[in-house]
Amino acid sequence: MIELLQHADPAANIEIDGARLRAKVDDRIGITTSLEPARKRPSRPWLVVAVAAMVAAAIALPMLLREEPPSIFAPAYDGILNTPGIEKVIPVGAGVSTVGVDGDSIWVMAALSNQLHHIDATTGSILETYTIDSYVEGVIPGGGFVWLLSYDNDGEVLRFDPDSGTVDLVIPIEGSPWHRSAWFDDRLWVSNDQGELFTITADGELTPAGPGSVKGQAMGYLWVANPATGDISSLSEDGTRGELVIPRRVDTSIIDEKGNPVDVIDASSLTEAGGYIWLMTGEGPASRTTLLRFDPSDGELLPLVIGPGLHGMVEHDGYLWVISYIDHLLVRVDPDTRETSRYPMPGKTGGITVADGSIWLDFFHPGLLARVDTSANLIEAGETLVDQVDTDHRLLCTGPDDFTGPIIILEPPQWIGPGSWSVIQAELSNQGSQVCAHGYLGGEPTDQTPSDRATDLASALDGAGISGPLLVVTAGDGVHATRLFAEGRDNVVGILMVDPVPVGWNEFLTSVIVAAGEDPDGAPEGADLDAAVSAGLGDFGATPLVVIGQDPDAVFLNDPFVDTYGDGAYAANQFWQDGLAFYAGLSTDSRTVVADGTGMHMVVWDRADLVIDEVLALLERIEG
Amino acid sequence: MSTAGAREHVDISQRFDPLFDAHYQEIYRFCIRRLGVDDAEDATAEVFAVAWRRIDGMPSGVDDRAWLYGVAQRVVGNHYRSRRRRQGLLKRLLETRSTGEPDVVTGADVDARVLAALSSLSGSDQDLLRLTTWDGLTRSEIAHVLGIKENAVDQRIHRARMRLRDRYDRLGPEPRPVTTKEASA
Repeated sequence: MIELLQHADPAANIEIDGARLRAKVDDRIGITTSLEPARKRPSRPWLVVAVAAMVAAAIALPMLLREEPPSIFAPAYDGILNTPGIEKVIPVGAGVSTVGVDGDSIWVMAALSNQLHHIDATTGSILETYTIDSYVEGVIPGGGFVWLLSYDNDGEVLRFDPDSGTVDLVIPIEGSPWHRSAWFDDRLWVSNDQGELFTITADGELTPAGPGSVKGQAMGYLWVANPATGDISSLSEDGTRGELVIPRRVDTSIIDEKGNPVDVIDASSLTEAGGYIWLMTGEGPASRTTLLRFDPSDGELLPLVIGPGLHGMVEHDGYLWVISYIDHLLVRVDPDTRETSRYPMPGKTGGITVADGSIWLDFFHPGLLARVDTSANLIEAGETLVDQVDTDHRLLCTGPDDFTGPIIILEPPQWIGPGSWSVIQAELSNQGSQVCAHGYLGGEPTDQTPSDRATDLASALDGAGISGPLLVVTAGDGVHATRLFAEGRDNVVGILMVDPVPVGWNEFLTSVIVAAGEDPDGAPEGADLDAAVSAGLGDFGATPLVVIGQDPDAVFLNDPFVDTYGDGAYAANQFWQDGLAFYAGLSTDSRTVVADGTGMHMVVWDRADLVIDEVLALLERIEG
Repeated sequence: MSTAGAREHVDISQRFDPLFDAHYQEIYRFCIRRLGVDDAEDATAEVFAVAWRRIDGMPSGVDDRAWLYGVAQRVVGNHYRSRRRRQGLLKRLLETRSTGEPDVVTGADVDARVLAALSSLSGSDQDLLRLTTWDGLTRSEIAHVLGIKENAVDQRIHRARMRLRDRYDRLGPEPRPVTTKEASA
C-alpha cells in the first residue's frame, strides 16, 4: 500500500523554476527585483524624506500612546497580549462579534460602536474604518462588496462599497437576518427569522428562494435547512439541491449533558473538518451545546460533548477549532478520534475565523480582534474532573484527582462567568493543584444575591463531593459571597481577594456621579452586600489572607477620571483604599498587594501572572 | 528604503537566502502534493514570504526545515478553506462506487484510486501519510509540523496506514494489473 502511495506522488517528476519562484517571493515581500533589470527611476529625494518621516511617526506614535495610562473605560490590553498563544491584538471597539474574510482582508464590525474596520490580515493593521449607521451583526464579503446584515427596520441587508466607503444599497428582507448567511454561487444567500431564504446578486437583485435557513458551507456545498422537515440539504453551485442530505432525526443514542436526545433540527451551524461535517446544536451563550460529526460517506452521526456555550467553529491545520463563550476556551478537536484539547482564552470570544494561515478570535469584551498562534505556546488546560451542571450554576474543576493539598475554589464577580478565570485556572491546575471555578450559565449577570451565591457554592461543592480544605479565591463583588461562604467554616484555610469591591461602593460611586452633574444611570450595577448582613459578619481570625488591589493611578487618578469627577476622583480612590484596608484587617495574617498597570476590574486579565504567583505563595504558606 | 531599512533588509537576506535555496524545491513539492500544480507556486511564495517576515521569530531549537514545513502546513490549510476540490472528489468517489470495477486498470487508475482513498481520510491522517511517504520528514519533524507529541507519531502513522488500506479496499475489488495486450488493444 505504501509503495502504491509512493508511486502516486503527484510531485515526483515536476520541474521547478527556482528563479521564477524567487521573483514571486520577492514580489510578495516588496523587494523590487525581477527576472528583468528594473527600470531606472528618477531620483526623488523629497519622497525619501517624506517616507522616512512617516516611518518615524509610525514607530513613535504607538510608543507615545503607550505612555498614556489605561482609561477606566478601555482596559489595558497587556493582559490579553501576555496570554500564551495570543500573537497580535487589534482594538476594534465594543461589541465586536462579526468578522468576514476576503483573501488577505478581514472585515470586522463592532456592532455597539457602529464601526466597520478593514484590516490587512498579513500585517494586522487597520487599513480603514467606516461608520455604519445601523446595528449590524453579520459581515459577508462577496462580489466586490461587503454585505452587512442589519437588524434595523425589521431586518435588512446593506451593500457596502469599499471603493466609495459608503452603504450604497439597502435591501429589506422582512425579518431579522440569520448571521450564517453566505456568499455562494456569485450571490448572497441570506435567511431571516421567518424561515425565508433569499438570494441577492452583486447588483442588488433580491430573489425569494423558498423556505430555508442557511447553516454554512462545507465540502463545496452550501447547506440549507428546510424549516418544514428539518432536513439539511446540500446546494451545488449549479443549483442542484439535495445531492447530500443530513436528515432530521431524533436519535436516542445521542444525548446531551442533560440526558436528552439530540435533535439535529436544532443544528444552528455547520462546518467541515477532517472530511466530516460538524454540526453545532444549542449554540449560544446560555445554552448547553453538543457537536455532531456527520460522515457523508456512510451517514454516521456521532456526538461530542465539550461543554456549554459553544459559539463558532472552523477548520484549521487539520483540526476542528471551537470556541466556548462561557468557559472562555479555545478547543481543538481531532476530527478522527474526537479527542479534545482545551486552551484557555482571556475573555469572552464572540467569533472565530481563519485568515492568513492563522486563527483569529474576536473578544466581545473589551472589543479586540486577536491573532492566535496555534503552532506553539498555547497552554492546555488540565483534565476536567467535575463538570457539574445544575439548573443554572456549575462547578468546573480541573487538575489531578489525586491531589491532597487545599483545593482552590474560584468565585467570580457577579458580572462575569466562571470563564473569567480561564488562564489562571489552567496554569494552577497544570502546576498540580486541583482547581474548581464556580459560576452561572448565561451571558448576563446573575441576579443571585451574595447569600444565594454562597449557598449555591456550598451546594455545588457538596454535589461534587468536595469537602476541603479549601483556598477560596474571589474577585470584585464576589468578595461578599465569599465572606458569607467562609463564615464559620473550618475547612476554608486561605482566602485571596482580587480587586475586592468595598461594602457600599455602588452607593458611594453614584453619589460621586451625581455630584459631578452626570446621569447616575452610568453607575455600575451589582448587588451590594447590605449593611445588616455586613454588620453581622465576623472576621477570618488567623486564616491567611491576601488582598490584591487594582492600580489606583490607572483606575482613579488618571486624567480623564480626574477631569470628569474632580475631587470625586480622589474621594473614590480613598474610599477604595479604605475598603482594601478593611478587608486586609479581617485576618491577623494578611498582606496587601497592588497590581500595577491594571484597568478597572481587570486584574484577573491584566495581571493573571500576579494572581497565580500569589495563589501559589499562599498555598506554600498554608502547607507550611 | 531608509538606511536602517536597507541594513535590516541585508541582515534578513543573509539568513533568508540560504533558507530559500536549501528548501524551496521540497516546499514547492509539499504544496503540489496538497494543492496541485496550479496553486502550488502561489502557496510556496506565500510560505517564504511568511518566512521572510517572521525569520526573527523562528524558534530556537527547531531546525529550519521543520519550521518551514510548519509554516507551509498552515499556508496550505488556509488554501484548503477556499477550495472546492472536495466537491469534485466526492462526486468522483460516488461515481467510482456506482460503476464498479473497471474492465482494464492502468497504472494511472491505480494512482487515482490510491489518491482517492487518501483524500477520503481525515485531514490529520492525510497529513501524516503525505509527510512520511512523500515529503520524507523525520518523526521529530512531523511532530513539530503537526503539533503533536513525538512519541505519538508512529502510532498515528500506523493507524493512518490501516485506514488507508481500509478506504482503498472499500472503493471496490482490487484492480488487476494491466497487461501489454490489454493496453495495446
